[in-house]
Amino acid sequence: MSTQQRYFEDVQPGEAIAEVSFPLTVYRLVMAAGGNRDFNSIHHNGDYARSTGAPDMYASTAFLLGTWERAVRDWIGAGGTIRSIRGFRMRQFNLVGDTTRVLGHVASAELRDGAGVVVLELRSENSKGVTVGPGQVEVTLPVRAAGRQGRRVS
Amino acid sequence: MGEPDPAGGAGADWRSDWDPMVAAVGRDFSDGAVVYGADPVTATDIRRFLEPLEFDCPLHYDREAAAQAGFADVTLPYTAALSWSIPPMWSPGDPPLFDDDGRDAQPARSPINNPDQGPAPKTTGYFATGLEMDFVRPVTVGERIGRRGRTLLACVPKETSVGRGAFLTFESEMVTGTGEVVARMRSVAFAYVPRPAGGWDGGAV
Repeated sequence: MSTQQRYFEDVQPGEAIAEVSFPLTVYRLVMAAGGNRDFNSIHHNGDYARSTGAPDMYASTAFLLGTWERAVRDWIGAGGTIRSIRGFRMRQFNLVGDTTRVLGHVASAELRDGAGVVVLELRSENSKGVTVGPGQVEVTLPVRAAGRQGRRVS
Repeated sequence: MGEPDPAGGAGADWRSDWDPMVAAVGRDFSDGAVVYGADPVTATDIRRFLEPLEFDCPLHYDREAAAQAGFADVTLPYTAALSWSIPPMWSPGDPPLFDDDGRDAQPARSPINNPDQGPAPKTTGYFATGLEMDFVRPVTVGERIGRRGRTLLACVPKETSVGRGAFLTFESEMVTGTGEVVARMRSVAFAYVPRPAGGWDGGAV
């Protein structure tokens, strides 16, 4: 994460957030299961995952949510907050042996009750295309200048 | 988890088998009690959550940085509330969890594999397909999180590439030990009977 805090005034409509890549290996999925407590075998046992109709083991919801938060936090910095996640729809399996990338851009930004509210549109992709989303993450960024209610960037 | 029951959710009338669940839309499947996660939030466990994500934000590991941001201690990543609300797999006094030495044998029970299927037909496959979350505030070290309520918002029977079942949407609140709401969650999952290797009629798919 960049140590330089991003402010609301820095935001440009359409601006892309930095892409974050997550190569998905068995090793990583096992570490993820231990860290996020989703021990469902579909996330760390290829034979078992195939018995459920999936092509192979695949990343869990908890891990994929974490990839979105990581990408968002990298962009908003420690001074930002996350208010909501919408449209987090898992369209395809995020399979082991592939790389899931999180991409996004600024969909809108406005000052609301003194808070710099930004909506980011995010999606995850792997070699098969979009796997999660596109969804919307509403965040706040610190504001340098107060008293500028109503400014809208969209 | 047992084998798919041909007379159950994958039978000829498999869609109508879901009627009781469709009729249950609006029902709270919880007993009203808060179901708490296995452990309170600790810095050690946060670190283990961050590690596979290579997630570097000082709010989650640096008490001084967290204090500068106005928090009493390091904070849990927002989305990690999901993990910290998972009940324990096993607790002292419980019967054995691992009672079968089959290579891919499943534990005798799990809090994450669709534990309460209500009036739904029997299914053996289950995975999440979507999620929406609203965050009220971050959770800090020392707090414990639980889920309150499990209201069925939708039940949509559907056949997909992996099997026959239904998309189920549930809504819950995430609360601390004092009952304070820290997040609200609507989750969608597909509960299904996996497609047999030879197709439903034993022939080509």
